[in-house]
Amino acid sequence: MTIIPILYLKSTLIASIQTELTDEEVLLFQSNLLKKNHKLNTKGVIIDVSTLDVIDSYMAKVLKDLTSMVKLQGSVFLLSGVKPAVSSTLVDMGMMLNNVETFLSLDQAFDYLSTKVQAKK
Amino acid sequence: MMNGMSPEVSEHVPICSTKDIVTARQKGRELAHCFKFSKGEQTRFATAISELTRNILTYADTGSCQFYVYTDKNYHTIMAKIIDHGPGIENPKLAMTDGYSSGNGLGLGLPGAKRLVHELSIKSEPGLTQIEITIRQKKY
Ligand SMILES: Nc1ncnc2c1ncn2[C@@H]1O[C@H](COP(=O)(O)OP(=O)(O)OP(=O)(O)O)[C@@H](O)[C@H]1O
Ligand SMILES: [Mg+2]
Repeated sequence: MTIIPILYLKSTLIASIQTELTDEEVLLFQSNLLKKNHKLNTKGVIIDVSTLDVIDSYMAKVLKDLTSMVKLQGSVFLLSGVKPAVSSTLVDMGMMLNNVETFLSLDQAFDYLSTKVQAKK
Repeated sequence: MMNGMSPEVSEHVPICSTKDIVTARQKGRELAHCFKFSKGEQTRFATAISELTRNILTYADTGSCQFYVYTDKNYHTIMAKIIDHGPGIENPKLAMTDGYSSGNGLGLGLPGAKRLVHELSIKSEPGLTQIEITIRQKKY
């Protein structure tokens, strides 16, 4: 099983998905992320997919679900670095990721969290 | 469509577990890359393969994904043939409708895959489902 490292930095969880994951690995990642976020009470969670070439409907659904789940934990979920080929594929598939907050880069996502989102007490 | 031509490359990926979905779509990407399809087309082809091979695991247990590359005077054509011996698609026309799912899926797999490739054709009966998707590219 591929384990995706999840880093904690300035009240934020950051993970970068760089290799293609099986459905089981995606689910394991999702549950690890939620556990860690529950423990650490973060401002936000950022997932960077800037090296990922395929986001299929399964992965897209997990990202959508994560948005709601992380929100229920009181944090903000941000997705960064969706490649142009991936975004056009998702739209043509009919998977809009409408409720997912996205940024061009990890840098921008992190900036947004640090400046726009209030730290929790 | 490719009647009478023998493929220049053919490969075969058995689909038995979710790991094989990843293998199949990577193979599709690789082939599209080899024949100089654009990044966008590589991703679209790989994503369509992902959807169709996942349907095998969901609805038919096991199957296979076969790749064929044909080159004629003007075009490179890559075909992925996704085959299973499960119950068959009861109503292929309905299955191609956006949002139709016999289970609790989003019903985007088949119609979505069709929009990602040049051509998609379905042959299905109990015991044999065969879906062919092709992408085509002008030779340089
Ligand atoms: N290989 C197959 N064998 C039997 N039935 C199939 C097969 N592939 C698809 N179907 C049928 O066609 C329907 C539509 O498939 P499609 O992939 O579009 O949606 P889904 O799998 O239900 O949901 P999604 O792919 O969005 O998660 C399925 O619900 C199923 O009834
Ligand atoms: Mg499906």
